[in-house]
Amino acid sequence: MAMILKKLYNWLDERLGLKGIYDNILDRPEPRGNWWNTLGSASLFLFILQGATGIFLSVYYTPSPDHAYDSIQYIMDGVAFGWLVRGIHHWGATLMVVIVFIHMLRVFVTASFKYPRELTWLIGVGLLLATLGMGFTGYLLPWNQRAYWATTVGTQIAGTVPLIGEFILKALRGGTDLSALTLQRFFAAHIWMLPAVLAGLIGIHLYLIIRHGESHLPTKED
Amino acid sequence: MVVLKPFPDPKMEQVDYPEELGITEAIMGEETKQRINERYRHELNRGERFWPDSIFKDLIVSLGIFVLVILLATFIGVAPDAKADPSDTSYLPRPEWYFLFLFKFLAIYGQIPLLGKIEWIATVIIPALAVLLLVVIPFLERNPDRYYGKRVLPIAIMGLAVVGMVILTLMSDVPTVTLEGSDLPGILQAVAGLVIPGVAVILLFLMSFAFKKASTQIMLWTTGTAALLMLGVTGVVLALAPKAETTEIEIAQTLVDQILAGQDLYAVQCTECHGDDGSVTTIEGVEGLEGKQISAINGHDVLYTLNDAAMSEVIAYGRPDAGMTPFGKAYNPEGLTKSEIDYIVVFMRYMWDDRFEIPEEALKPLFPPLADGEVPSYEVHIQPIVKRYCVSCHREGKENNNYWMTNYEEILTTGDNVDNNILPGNSESYFLQVIQETPIMDPENPDEELIGVMPPNKALKPNVVDVFTRWIMNGMPETAEQAAALFVAPTPVERAPSGTPTP
Repeated sequence: MAMILKKLYNWLDERLGLKGIYDNILDRPEPRGNWWNTLGSASLFLFILQGATGIFLSVYYTPSPDHAYDSIQYIMDGVAFGWLVRGIHHWGATLMVVIVFIHMLRVFVTASFKYPRELTWLIGVGLLLATLGMGFTGYLLPWNQRAYWATTVGTQIAGTVPLIGEFILKALRGGTDLSALTLQRFFAAHIWMLPAVLAGLIGIHLYLIIRHGESHLPTKED
Repeated sequence: MVVLKPFPDPKMEQVDYPEELGITEAIMGEETKQRINERYRHELNRGERFWPDSIFKDLIVSLGIFVLVILLATFIGVAPDAKADPSDTSYLPRPEWYFLFLFKFLAIYGQIPLLGKIEWIATVIIPALAVLLLVVIPFLERNPDRYYGKRVLPIAIMGLAVVGMVILTLMSDVPTVTLEGSDLPGILQAVAGLVIPGVAVILLFLMSFAFKKASTQIMLWTTGTAALLMLGVTGVVLALAPKAETTEIEIAQTLVDQILAGQDLYAVQCTECHGDDGSVTTIEGVEGLEGKQISAINGHDVLYTLNDAAMSEVIAYGRPDAGMTPFGKAYNPEGLTKSEIDYIVVFMRYMWDDRFEIPEEALKPLFPPLADGEVPSYEVHIQPIVKRYCVSCHREGKENNNYWMTNYEEILTTGDNVDNNILPGNSESYFLQVIQETPIMDPENPDEELIGVMPPNKALKPNVVDVFTRWIMNGMPETAEQAAALFVAPTPVERAPSGTPTP
């Protein structure tokens, strides 16, 4: 048995380079760890959790004004454990915003954004904004009173930009008013565009972290 | 073993902060970079392995977060809300909580004279500047110092920004103008959210750049005082704020709840014209629509030809030619919400559409059946009956001889004929006569009906008439206890003495 596993491992290693992955990604030296440094991976965990629950929700959710509300009622009432999955997605979103924000504060306070990690910070700002964008687009999807009116006001605010405000407003809403088109494009942004942006940025962020290592907590010497 | 140079280079400490900003090349030269890298290598040497040490901590924190999310989802859940209703313009919009601080900021900014009118400064310029500031931080702060004590200014500013966001979020529910029209809350909010942090930031900058000798301590004191003042003023704002009225909206979650909610709404809003079972074809006794021919809404003509969305629209927007009044908020701010209209449609479907099967639980009787000699009470028996069959017409704003029936007091004390309407123990009470198909004739003009039969379209079922009769004959008890006290046990049948078996 052990022989077979060893052979299987060797076969995979030849093709995938498992040893190289282990050496370069897992078996790296890190500065003495502290608990504040876990918030980045906690954000990543929440992103995956949101992705998993979001995929489940998209099985039942219908992005149309006629059916969005009822499809969520059905998830809450008719689907086994649908209430739990939606609850996790709802609270996961809240926690993700909180954790990402505290992560940013930690990086700022320990000045981890300084040489050689300036780019990691820039990507991080992009991740923060994309996370807020997920919150904003996801808020409309239940198509309830809160969602509808918050988005009405939110898009109105975007419409106050001088000169191009009108254009932004129409681009966000898909017309002058909140409509089926708005719901459809918020849905597309929420499940395709922003997650794609997030996933790409997370990839770069992780690469940079592996390349430069986690920063150490600054002491008087720094 | 790497031998480290003393770090930081003593020479570096001589450089003043503001000048550093200008001559960054000297600071972040190759030599500095090398020193930073060496210092990091030193930290790595006395550090840990990513696997398993760091990952272990990461996993513990992620697991903790996962448990927390599940607990929140299970025990708090997602607050239900009514369906979006574009015609309900009275709805007070509120964004997701993490945008509340921006929302409040805009509200406070709008209070500023003159400048407050230029909306886009607050909606576009300031948020864009904030984002831009985040983006350029690594390029603004290019000196290599990382220790907190050497970065008092940036940390203090960020600290004040975070406190500002927190207090704006806390104050987000308090309006900027009181009901009496006083601007005081708005002014206090502006002081806490804009003035104090603004002044503190300017002071901090002056300390760092103008008076170069300002010590770290003074800067920390300034920051701490400003933060405490902000929190204090926020406390005052919250203490002065009127208790927010929490309007509980009933959201029917399950199908049964929706059917029952729809039934109640139907009884009040629709029974007047359509009758309690939707079968009416000629409207009677309704001001302005008297004698109007309508189609029965409980048959195939309506239920098979209109889908749910179309039915909702008919209820919301009405059918002027067919006599149907609009009930949605678009025509009447007091009208029905989108969700309420949906409940009525669900009720009609499950009650009358033979393609749908109504769940057992939705068919519970209107009132518990009465035993022999039992006296019904208002709260248990009369209220649900009245709500189902009477209130649709007998409420404010309808043609009903001023007889309203929305609560116990009104049933007994209103109406043009209150003197004869409900007389305890009197079977000649007008009320009892009209519900038993006997109209009351006008004593002064015996050809005219003073009160027609009630309900006008369809007689009440005998068991309902029985409830009303027993109630009035026994003095109209309000609560179940009062009714129980009046319970007359059925006269016991004479029994043979015990022990002797009856033949």
